[in-house]
Amino acid sequence: MEYKVEAHRIMSISLGKIYNSRVQRGGIKLHKNLLVSLVLRSARQVYLRDYYGGICLSAQQAREWCEGEYMDSEQDKLVPGSTESLPESDGQSEVAVDKGEPINVVESPASLDVESQASGEQEHAENVILDSGCSDLKTTEESPEASATCEVSNVVTTISSNCISDPSPSNPKEATETPTDCQTDDSESVEENSHKPKVPRAYTNRKRSADDSELKDPLPKRTKVISPLLISKNDENKGETEEMDTSNVSSLITIFGSSFSGLLSSEDGAQPDSEVEDSDSGQICCDQMLKNLNPWSTAIVAF
Amino acid sequence: MDEEIDTRKINNSFLRDHNYATEADIISTVEFNPTGELLATGDKGGRVVVFQRERESKNQPHRRGEYNVYSTFQSHEPEFDYLKSLEIEEKINKIRWLPQQNAAYFLLSTNDKTVKLWKVSERDKRPEGYNLKDEDGRIRDPTTITALRVPVLQPMDLMVEATPRRVFSNAHTYHINSISVNSDYETYMSTDDLRINLWNLEITNRSFNIVDIKPTNMEELTEVITAAEFQPNQCNTFVYSSSKGSIRLCDMRASALCDNHSKLFEEPEDPSNRSFFSEIISSISDVKFSHSGRYLITRDYLTVKVWDLNMESKPLETYQVHDYLRSKLCSLYENDCIFDKFECVWNGSDSVIMTGSYNNFFRMFDRNTKRDVTLEASRENSKPRAILKPRKVCVGGKRRKDEISVDSLDFSKKILHTAWHPSENIIAVAATNNLYIFQDKVN
Repeated sequence: MEYKVEAHRIMSISLGKIYNSRVQRGGIKLHKNLLVSLVLRSARQVYLRDYYGGICLSAQQAREWCEGEYMDSEQDKLVPGSTESLPESDGQSEVAVDKGEPINVVESPASLDVESQASGEQEHAENVILDSGCSDLKTTEESPEASATCEVSNVVTTISSNCISDPSPSNPKEATETPTDCQTDDSESVEENSHKPKVPRAYTNRKRSADDSELKDPLPKRTKVISPLLISKNDENKGETEEMDTSNVSSLITIFGSSFSGLLSSEDGAQPDSEVEDSDSGQICCDQMLKNLNPWSTAIVAF
Repeated sequence: MDEEIDTRKINNSFLRDHNYATEADIISTVEFNPTGELLATGDKGGRVVVFQRERESKNQPHRRGEYNVYSTFQSHEPEFDYLKSLEIEEKINKIRWLPQQNAAYFLLSTNDKTVKLWKVSERDKRPEGYNLKDEDGRIRDPTTITALRVPVLQPMDLMVEATPRRVFSNAHTYHINSISVNSDYETYMSTDDLRINLWNLEITNRSFNIVDIKPTNMEELTEVITAAEFQPNQCNTFVYSSSKGSIRLCDMRASALCDNHSKLFEEPEDPSNRSFFSEIISSISDVKFSHSGRYLITRDYLTVKVWDLNMESKPLETYQVHDYLRSKLCSLYENDCIFDKFECVWNGSDSVIMTGSYNNFFRMFDRNTKRDVTLEASRENSKPRAILKPRKVCVGGKRRKDEISVDSLDFSKKILHTAWHPSENIIAVAATNNLYIFQDKVN
């Protein structure tokens, strides 16, 4: 247990460092960010390992559920090519939540589903489930991006974990998102998630305003990374976790979500053909972040 | 070893009376020139200060060659990369002297993106008696000139001037972390996180890339280059260290692009010491060839290792610098101290290694006697001409008198940069914004 708490704490600190590095004078330092990302990954692995076993089962169920729901969703390259969701706790199967790709959306329901089943499971469960959900949705075509997204998602997932692990928080909100809920949130862009309210809303408020307008509609599914996080909390709220507590970590994640979205969009040349909207939002994000991304993206990508 | 302290406190801040240090005054590099006559320091504000050793005089035998300020100049200015919307810091990352070939001194100084070659020269004569302008420099009316004269060189007060002779720019996408002058005195290399470029000292518009470890897919990036140095005797050999704790030796004769190393020096990780931060503390922050060229020292966060170029599998010697920090890695990670890049240096005879630590401590390891000493560079504890007292950090349990406990170490006072005179036992230690120069005891 101590490991988990420690790992979670280290993950939060690491994310804080990555975030702060964006505003440091002299640009982003590749070496330091690489080291921080390695620590982040180690901590995440430790963190997830504990829950892996318990989640497997629920993940399986979640995956099936997701598949049914989102077969044709805008899923995209986000999902790193890991088709094997369960076996891989870290990395591949991680949901690439960046950009709020549909994957995220998919995950939310998956997570929710899982939540319901596995009461009280933490984010690990979440992440795993997400992974499984995502993996199904992933298209193989985007493997390069997938890896990128995978990376990002890994980070994102971590962030999610962070969010979720917040014990005290207030959030009972875990986003118990229903499938429809998933659709609503685009962490990045959407200010107003008509569908799913609070959780995404809190995050979206912080989203980049520029893309928002465009991003909102086309892809309701862009769940932000946070959503999965919320889900994790879910023990309590299976149903509608509306409130997204804007804790520091949450905002951090939101911001990361935006960054990562931008990163992904700029990283991936091609958008999934199935998702026009994604492309649009991707483009927007890309434009937003492009000028900041060059050194930053290398650091991020390295994650 | 006994040390006599000859303290120089160089504080470039305008507010000399205050105790806090302005960030621009923080010394970021220290380097002796090949003869040891000059000592250069670079700071975060982009300035270079050069000290010159006094000539020993019979009148004052006890003042055995103290270092005085010789020249100060602004080497780099803050810049802005408009394309990436990034500010380029003016902090001097490294200074390297060129061997002296005439009356002037040359040094290379670099910030994150640009290397500059500076010429430091003395002027003690000036021409007087121009025809077309008068002594003030104003142009004379040609119609008033009735006779011609030849300008004559008249003595003047010694003036030391620094002029930039070459600017090597636009060759690095990532941050430059080291430069190294080749023993052929014609070329040098500059190293950033992912690439090493070879330059000719005369040519500024072209450089050759000799090492490129950037992966095609940046997502696969796992290690970066942290330092590089040319072998002091062979102009075709150089080494570079990585963030994963490995050192690669490359031979430029083998191919134009030295991505394939000739030797790989790596020590397998001790699995019992595995933690979240294992990767960070194994990242090498500095690598230095011995003067003989046969050995290397590398500095990672907790140790200094001596490597024999003929043995790649493990280091010859490993010295623990501050192993008591191993249990505190998490807090050091939080306050960013774990990312500090300590440097290490050899003495002139390659028998002693020196490196810095926290609380303004620095450590010396004698390779022959296997003895080590911890010394402190601070104003309170050192008066000029006083002998430095060895310090000790108490690791736990009962703290003896004069010992410092690990918890009371001041982690904001770190000695990252040190230099050792090439032939004598004179060391320069940079403690934040202060420079300390210590000499061997004179009997």
